[in-house]
Amino acid sequence: MVSCAAGPCSNDKKIMSTTEVDLSDIPPVSLRRVWQLTLKAWPFMRPLVKHLLILGGFILFMTLVLAGVALVGTDLFNNKILVGDKLQPLQAVVLFVDDSYVGSDIEDNVNLKDTLTAEQRGVVRDRFMIWIVMLCLLFIPMGAALIYYNIWIWQMINQNLRVAMMTKAEHLSLNFHAQSRVGDAIFRIYKDSSTITSLVQEAIIGPVTGIYFILVGLAFVAFFDPRVAVAVIFIFIPMIFLTAWLTPLIRYRALENRVANSDLTSRLQETMKALRVVKANQGERRILDRFHADSQRALDAALFLRLMIVVLNVVVATSAAVLLLVTEYLVVGWVLEERETFMGAAVVTIIGYAIWNMGAFQDFRGRLTSSTYTAGSLITRWALLQDLFIGLERAFYLLDLKADIVDPEYPLGFPTPIKSVEWRDAYYAYQQEQPVLAGVNLRAEVGSITAIIGSSGAGKSTLMSLLLRLYDPDDGQISINNTDLRDLRIEDIRSNTAIALQKNVLFAGTVADNIGYATKNASRKEIEEAARIACADQFIAELESGYDTELGERGGKLSTGQRQRVSLARAIVRNTPILILDEPTASLDAETELAVMRNLGEWGTDKIVFLITHRLPTIRNADQIVFLEHGKVIEAGSHENLVENDGRYSKFLAASQVSALSLVSHDYE
Amino acid sequence: MIMSENGFEEGVVDKFIGEHHHDDRIDVETEISSRESFVLLVRCLKLLYAVRWLFTAKFLLRLCAFLPGLLLPWLAKIVIDNVLLQKSFSENENPYPPFMHPIINFLDGMTPLEIMFTITAGYFIGLIFIGARTGGELYVGTYGNTLTGQDEASAAENKISNGHTESGGILGVIEYWVTVRLSQRLADNVRTRLFARLTRLPMAVLSEKRTGDSIYRVLYDTSNIPLAVTDSTFHIFYALLGSFISMYLIGYSYSVSAEEIVWIAWSVLPLVFILTFPAAKLMRRINQTKRSAGSATTNAMEETVDNIDAVQSLGGMQQETEKFAMRSLESYFRERVSLLVGGALFIGAAIAVLSVCGIVFVMVTNSIIKGDMSAGDFGVIFIIFWGIAGGAIELGGFWLAVQNKMAPARRIFFFIDYESDDDHSGGDQLETIARGVEVYHVDYDYPDGRRALTDITLDLPVGQTVALVGPSGAGKTSLAYLLPGFLKPTHGHVRIDGKDVSDLDIDSVRSHIAYVFQEHLLLAESIRDNLRLAKPQATDEEIEAALTMAGCMSFIDEMPDGIDTVLGRSGSTLSVGQQQRLCIARGLIRDAKILILDEPTAALDPESENLLFESLEQIARDRLLIVVAHRLSTIQRADKIVFLEDGRIREQGTHTELMNTADGHYRRYVGIIESDD
Repeated sequence: MVSCAAGPCSNDKKIMSTTEVDLSDIPPVSLRRVWQLTLKAWPFMRPLVKHLLILGGFILFMTLVLAGVALVGTDLFNNKILVGDKLQPLQAVVLFVDDSYVGSDIEDNVNLKDTLTAEQRGVVRDRFMIWIVMLCLLFIPMGAALIYYNIWIWQMINQNLRVAMMTKAEHLSLNFHAQSRVGDAIFRIYKDSSTITSLVQEAIIGPVTGIYFILVGLAFVAFFDPRVAVAVIFIFIPMIFLTAWLTPLIRYRALENRVANSDLTSRLQETMKALRVVKANQGERRILDRFHADSQRALDAALFLRLMIVVLNVVVATSAAVLLLVTEYLVVGWVLEERETFMGAAVVTIIGYAIWNMGAFQDFRGRLTSSTYTAGSLITRWALLQDLFIGLERAFYLLDLKADIVDPEYPLGFPTPIKSVEWRDAYYAYQQEQPVLAGVNLRAEVGSITAIIGSSGAGKSTLMSLLLRLYDPDDGQISINNTDLRDLRIEDIRSNTAIALQKNVLFAGTVADNIGYATKNASRKEIEEAARIACADQFIAELESGYDTELGERGGKLSTGQRQRVSLARAIVRNTPILILDEPTASLDAETELAVMRNLGEWGTDKIVFLITHRLPTIRNADQIVFLEHGKVIEAGSHENLVENDGRYSKFLAASQVSALSLVSHDYE
Repeated sequence: MIMSENGFEEGVVDKFIGEHHHDDRIDVETEISSRESFVLLVRCLKLLYAVRWLFTAKFLLRLCAFLPGLLLPWLAKIVIDNVLLQKSFSENENPYPPFMHPIINFLDGMTPLEIMFTITAGYFIGLIFIGARTGGELYVGTYGNTLTGQDEASAAENKISNGHTESGGILGVIEYWVTVRLSQRLADNVRTRLFARLTRLPMAVLSEKRTGDSIYRVLYDTSNIPLAVTDSTFHIFYALLGSFISMYLIGYSYSVSAEEIVWIAWSVLPLVFILTFPAAKLMRRINQTKRSAGSATTNAMEETVDNIDAVQSLGGMQQETEKFAMRSLESYFRERVSLLVGGALFIGAAIAVLSVCGIVFVMVTNSIIKGDMSAGDFGVIFIIFWGIAGGAIELGGFWLAVQNKMAPARRIFFFIDYESDDDHSGGDQLETIARGVEVYHVDYDYPDGRRALTDITLDLPVGQTVALVGPSGAGKTSLAYLLPGFLKPTHGHVRIDGKDVSDLDIDSVRSHIAYVFQEHLLLAESIRDNLRLAKPQATDEEIEAALTMAGCMSFIDEMPDGIDTVLGRSGSTLSVGQQQRLCIARGLIRDAKILILDEPTAALDPESENLLFESLEQIARDRLLIVVAHRLSTIQRADKIVFLEDGRIREQGTHTELMNTADGHYRRYVGIIESDD
């Protein structure tokens, strides 16, 4: 499972879990792959695209307004309030002041004598502040609303992906689930899926605007001195090589980090689930040591991934800063010798940067700093994107898994009324070398009870799983009224079949919720009737809130026998034509067992009932007894027939009785 | 979904705050007072002791970058004044602070280009060692967080491995490393401790403890502890240090009108505090709600995936998806509520601070308009104002900021403080069990108050095989749970060799008792490791012997990897009967004096059952073997049969004795089985 954490897996049924990350498993990085992932992410964003556009529009609007405000505001503040220059006509209009505030000769800003009076500066200052307060009142709530809106949008996109992943996990075959870990699913659905929220900003908008700023910045720098711009490009060439060299390592660390944290989640889940066994076996110390080791591994992986990014960061930032220092030193020299700038003479009428001066120095340095800083942050972003795409790969890995059990393209209608169920030469193996079912032939008619017996591991439960299409047979077929199950809709098969599982799984919820779990719209009356048939009504009535009593996660408030009856009632309430009871009475006392079987007999006359059991009283009442051994039906028939046959079933009967006899003698020892 | 519990009116406010526990059944009283919140903070700070060296290292490393950092604005000033504008140092209107004097003396007398060269050389050294002047005007720091989503779970990793430092260069990398390790150690210590406590929860609450919630607490709640600790020590310290240095500088260089600025800057502290303090309770509450919603989502996910076989065979996929989707939406909503309230408070505080800023703005511009100050002073005064106010804001808003971390801290310490098996360690050691167990007038009530066992008195000597029999729900398992101290009697005593179990060290008692549960729980590890859970030092011979005795070798031999076969999740690649036998083998390998088998043969066919009991008879001679069973074949083998009904012992004796009791409960019980046989 883990070894193919992010990449395509072999189709082998057996996916072993390993904790080592193999470098060859790292999905390749290519523009094509990134594009594919983005395309895959698109369906989850599409429902919110309207909101994304509205948000984008608002952000653009706010950015433009704020840029305008900043431009006018800076001038107003620096030149007018602090220094006392006269206002531009437009500024006078927005500040609602008369013409005496406006400079007489706009072209001649340098005329220092034409200034505002102290009183006028005070007025400008006050009105300026009123504007600032008003803008704050407008933009702070608006900005906050946009932040909230942005978060909501991305949460909903993530929600779409989460739900899709969860749905997928629920529909994957039990084969997949037997080999994968619960914690891994949790990690993928939480952590890996969340990478989608950064996709647009980090992989598209960020790099595009980043490159734009670098180009504009470099053009500006080149305008002062093209050699510096070339130097910037040159210093980043080795950086790009360094990044290219480090990229596979970063991807390796990113995958390792995700795998280690997923393993930690799994370890925690598995331990918490099995706490009782740990406690009974005093395995606390051992389990703690393992948790600690897993935790340390996850922390180390997180550290090394980050160190990788940080070192790359620091090297890039330091190299860029060296360039800045050198340039700064040189430019200071040019300022001192009042050297001409490269293009300055061409535009001297607009800006006074024909020669290097202090303003030119500051402006130049600001541009250079911001473009190298942007370039450095692009490299950091690149490193983070590696982690993002590894996460997306892992999320989509789950979504891309092909469910091995799927509806047919053109499903047939479900045959009603059901007359018979038949297994024909059914073969099935969980693992290639060990067939569990090796050619089973079996037929059951409506109105009959079929008991399936055999030693544990003979394939009894697997046989029933095939009827539910939890697995498909490797060979042979299972049919209802001679229609192959694979030609029917899975939904139809399962809604016509009820099963009481051997493992008495209860879900968190009330008793009534648990009984009605698999039946939509089951009325309270139907639930109570099912409970009566399963002989559960009595103990339920004694619970604190009866049918509304909340059950613990693993149904811990009930004894095993009681849980078994709830799970029986759950199958009964569905009232389906096919009923499968897997060891329905194993944990029941004889009295209850008899009562349950009697009720079932009365209730199930128009159904096909399958019983898996070891208990004689239950077996004997069946219309058909099927003895399964090594994946084959070795005997089938009624109790009387089989006793007459004196075959395997007789031996089984004898064994059941021998155990009783030997005991009596043991007592007299 | 959203309900108000305590009889509050169900208004908009309650809906907004939300339910304080979604589907948690143990941790239901989540409200904490300011005082409790403070106690929690102190407990978090105590965690520092374990990481004191890392903390000291981080503290000193930060100082190494902080102190040279003070020089940077002054060096920038020299570049402008003395290099570009070519003033001489004596023309300076404002005095340099004393720590600049050696540098000024050194540079004095050089030509502007020489000064620039010297400063550039100094910058270069600073750049390499502390990353001075990388990026922006001063530092950008070193930052390695990965991208996360808009939810607590995905943000947890960055919080645990948080290493944002303000220096760069060589020191930056080292400081980053130390910071991440410091943060990780803090989180790891507390999560390992929480994990250890959870594994020691008493058996009685385990069925109420939800796995998803444990995952949320151990992995996601603990991630907030490092921040709680560093926010309340480190950041406060450096924010205040910054304030004091700014105050010193303003006093030294700009003594004119500095005093007012200092007072105004400090007035921000009470202002922010008064504004944010009343919201602390709301903040805690909302954060609790957010976390319990997150837990509920994790529960839904975990339960569905873990019980996937049941979900699929019962056709519950759609309803599980809907449940998950609903809870996930709810938890996203709670994240946003938390952000919204935090954001609203932030804006409130920001407006207050900005108003103060406005006052300073008016004061300074007034002086400038009057001509008392030059235009250039404006920037300097504002930088210094912010330098002081920064620390004041940090301190004033500290209590509110820390509440977001006290909510998870409460969830962590709740289970660290919860009753645990550790509370029963440290008693007398039980060396061996020679005589047996006496149960003496024991009553047991479930946590919800229902009576499970009434007045049980029993003698269980070593050497006997005892069968606990009775209808389901009679209390058989509860009785068996009393022996290893999984449950504590409500009244009465359980004595082992005459010593009360509650006085004994619980671990030493359990080391003599092997318990095999009704449910077959196997770990997704190799068969060998599953057995080693019970006995870590078991040799291969011992493992094989136990497996043979439990009748496992027949199917293990068929597996290509034998006992090294790795089991699927919950042993799902094995049939239930095979799982049951493996669990029995795991019980046997412990070689304990008392062996308790709870329905050991329910899923076994009669032949396997016979084989099992034949092998059990060999080892049962010098042990106490307790079997909970429904099957006559199993029951009859016992030396003593204890018949339970409605939590009381109705009868006890051998099979023959009980069968000879006319009208006896047991006889009737057996009669039902036999009438059908």
